[in-house]
Amino acid sequence: MVLVTSVRDYINRMLHDISGMKVLILDSETVSNVSIVYSQSELLQKEVFLVEMIDSISVSKESMSHLKAVYFIRPTSENIQKLRYQLSNPRFGEHHLFFSNLLKDTQIHILADSDEHEAVQQVQEFYADFVAGDPYHFTLNMPSNHLYMIPAVVDPSGLQRYSDRVVDGIAALFLALKRRPVIRYQRTSDTAKRIAHETAKLMYQHETGLFDFRRTESSPLLLVIDRRDDPVTPLLNQWTYQAMVHELIGLQDNKVDLRAIGSLPKDQQEVVLSSEQDAFFKSNMYENFGDIGMNIKRMVDDFQQVAKSNQNIQTVEDMARFVDNYPEYKKMQGNVSKHVTLVTEMSKLVEARKLMLVSQTEQDLACNGGQGAAYEAVTNLLNNESVSDIDRLRLVMLYALRYEKENPVQLMQLFNKLASRSPKYKPGLVQFLLKQAGVEKRTGDLFGNRDLMNIARNMARGLKGVENVYTQHQPLLFQTMESITRGRLRDVDYPFVGDHFQQGRPQEVVIFMVGGTTYEESRSVALQNATNSGIRFILGGTAVLNSKRFLMDLEEAQRISRSAISFTAINH
Amino acid sequence: MATRNRTLLFRKYRNSLRSVRAPMTESKSGVGPVIEMASTSLLHPKRSYTPISTEDPGSSSKGAVTVGLPPDWVDVSEEISVNIQRAKTKMAELGKAHAKALMPTFGDGKEDQHQIESLTQEITFLLRKSEKQLQRLSAGGPSEDSNVRKNVQRSLATDLQQLSMELRKKQSTYLKRLRLQKEDGGDLEMNLNGSSSRAEDDDFDDILFSEHEMSKIKKNEEISVEREKEIQQVKCFATLSSLHSNLLSLSHCVLCNLQVVESVNELAQIMKDLSALVIDQGTIVDRIDYNIQNVASTVEDGLKQLQKAERTQRSGGMVKCASVLVILCFIMLVLLILKEIFL
Repeated sequence: MVLVTSVRDYINRMLHDISGMKVLILDSETVSNVSIVYSQSELLQKEVFLVEMIDSISVSKESMSHLKAVYFIRPTSENIQKLRYQLSNPRFGEHHLFFSNLLKDTQIHILADSDEHEAVQQVQEFYADFVAGDPYHFTLNMPSNHLYMIPAVVDPSGLQRYSDRVVDGIAALFLALKRRPVIRYQRTSDTAKRIAHETAKLMYQHETGLFDFRRTESSPLLLVIDRRDDPVTPLLNQWTYQAMVHELIGLQDNKVDLRAIGSLPKDQQEVVLSSEQDAFFKSNMYENFGDIGMNIKRMVDDFQQVAKSNQNIQTVEDMARFVDNYPEYKKMQGNVSKHVTLVTEMSKLVEARKLMLVSQTEQDLACNGGQGAAYEAVTNLLNNESVSDIDRLRLVMLYALRYEKENPVQLMQLFNKLASRSPKYKPGLVQFLLKQAGVEKRTGDLFGNRDLMNIARNMARGLKGVENVYTQHQPLLFQTMESITRGRLRDVDYPFVGDHFQQGRPQEVVIFMVGGTTYEESRSVALQNATNSGIRFILGGTAVLNSKRFLMDLEEAQRISRSAISFTAINH
Repeated sequence: MATRNRTLLFRKYRNSLRSVRAPMTESKSGVGPVIEMASTSLLHPKRSYTPISTEDPGSSSKGAVTVGLPPDWVDVSEEISVNIQRAKTKMAELGKAHAKALMPTFGDGKEDQHQIESLTQEITFLLRKSEKQLQRLSAGGPSEDSNVRKNVQRSLATDLQQLSMELRKKQSTYLKRLRLQKEDGGDLEMNLNGSSSRAEDDDFDDILFSEHEMSKIKKNEEISVEREKEIQQVKCFATLSSLHSNLLSLSHCVLCNLQVVESVNELAQIMKDLSALVIDQGTIVDRIDYNIQNVASTVEDGLKQLQKAERTQRSGGMVKCASVLVILCFIMLVLLILKEIFL
């Protein structure tokens, strides 16, 4: 709740003080920030009658001086240039500039220089620089997410830009929450260490006045971790509603694009899945596929009853009642058809890709032991014709991550089989993954086989049996959260930045995962928050991953590394 | 949530830069390129970040943005919002009138009925007029201005829809309560006039009510008739006049009922029209980013349509006209020649 409400509050404040007809000008990143929390009808209520992008507005020549322009953009150099151009030929009556992050002095100077017509009324910083999709989950939607996997020497300026964007996003989050945290990071990740140190520098040195908030009894904790510590979660297939939609179809800014699936009515081609606006989705987003089916059936039955009662209209009162209830009826109808379409589509995909079979093996690889049996299962599925290339790749990757050190011969056999069967497979991708996220590189106990306690727990779980084979996997994040709750997060693995220290347990924890989060982890966080353990967790990442996106990042990083290696080889 | 106001710093920079820029413009309008170059080279060291305290009073020419007059459709939209405000105040009055009419009165409820009717009519008229004006707001042509118009239209349509729903709810609750009251018409504490008018009401409410209620009303009727018999003399005259008014109010209330039905129908029509304009909340159409993308694509489509229309118009009208005229010319020429030959 807290993330969505803070962004909404910022937007409310922006629009509230300015009276009259307004036009809201956004850039390509803030448009996601705004549209995920604010709807068009709410904008209309605030008298915002036009929404434009800052790129397209430079092109048009119409002068609309009866409108007041409210700019909400990121303070990047491109945006400042575009603003300069627009301020030199102002099209609107008034200009109110709101930036979503900290402005540098030079940027203010440039703007002041170009404001010859004195068209600018105010310049403010409103720190809504993140995309708040769910109550406790945010993302930064960064395009070149793969840069965290590349060592700094290869592309130092790219990595610097990446790190700057992340630091800006985290700073904006804490400014919106009005907190200054104690920072810890994952020791084994250079990128995480760099980001943690730069954030600490920003919050405690450069802008210490801005971050000087009222101290609460226990400071909140910012934990910066790396995706490569848990490469298993993005590779798994998901079976809970929100995660499944993202995995199979793709969820971007809470929107699902169904245009690739033919023959859908026009209003179902793009749908919105937001827990704020859709009560059914809110109660079902973390349920597994079977339960969703039943709940949807119940919803359809309810709807059919309402539809039937609307059919016999005999008297004037019935007519009046129908017209009264019509908007709700229409809304219900739209909602029902949206969920039915989604679930139908996902069932079709599950059927076509034989995901039940594949996912069972995946979950076994991720959770249970037995190298021999696992090898058998993976080989069978590789031989199976109807399993798609991407699923084969995932299976081999999961096997490799788990049994990296055991039986290298069989591992090589699997690699060869994969290369021979999948023509589009880029050779060496699995090896690249192992280099990035192999057993030596990982801090946490991913498979529960390092720590004696974890081994015992796994055995107990194996004996007890699981409720649902397909959802038995718990992301590593769950264990991390548990350690924090118990106050047992090891300093060796997750050191503090500088001389920070935390007494006791924090009450608010923000976990930032460099490289991206998944909806399974977001579900884990939401369920943990629901247990009211006294600690509130917020999860954020540079992007929201599904298996396709994660593999794309790996391929991109591999390509860059290869070209860098060949470049240095040539030069020596 | 934290914010930071940079306006002061911005204004400080702007003022200092303005006074730096002003001498430069003065010298530019002066002699020539030589001096211009000199002044620009001098200017850079002048561009320090410290504020210049002495401001040039006369030379600061504010290139102020001429705030032009807004386009005429803004007047239309303002008119509509004024009408909506008026309708809102009248609805408040209507609510009060409803409450007053529902209270048990000693007198005839006729003035209240009249007032209620007139208010309802006024409100429906205002809503209808606003709706017609709203249609006028629809713009043609893909321009940014048309998007603003469309959005203004949408927001006013939402308001109108809400108002009409409120009006219908008020009307239906009023009718329901009225009916309930008339059912309890056997309240013996009512005075004679009250009871007789109740009896009248009971009579023509037969048209609306079911069997069960009719028997209850009949019982009430009997009681009131008995009481009338007791006070025969006075009531003789009264019953005559009451019968007369009975007929009138019968027709009146049938009409009244018909009017209510009519206004319900009218409002249903308005709602249907408005629902085409109003955005459904929670759907994809309610998303800002979807609308921005759509605008881009519809602008392109609109441009294509415009070009096509221009082409057809050009090809259609003029060619036909020209050909008709040419043919006429030929005919006249032929006639002239024939006239010359044969005369």
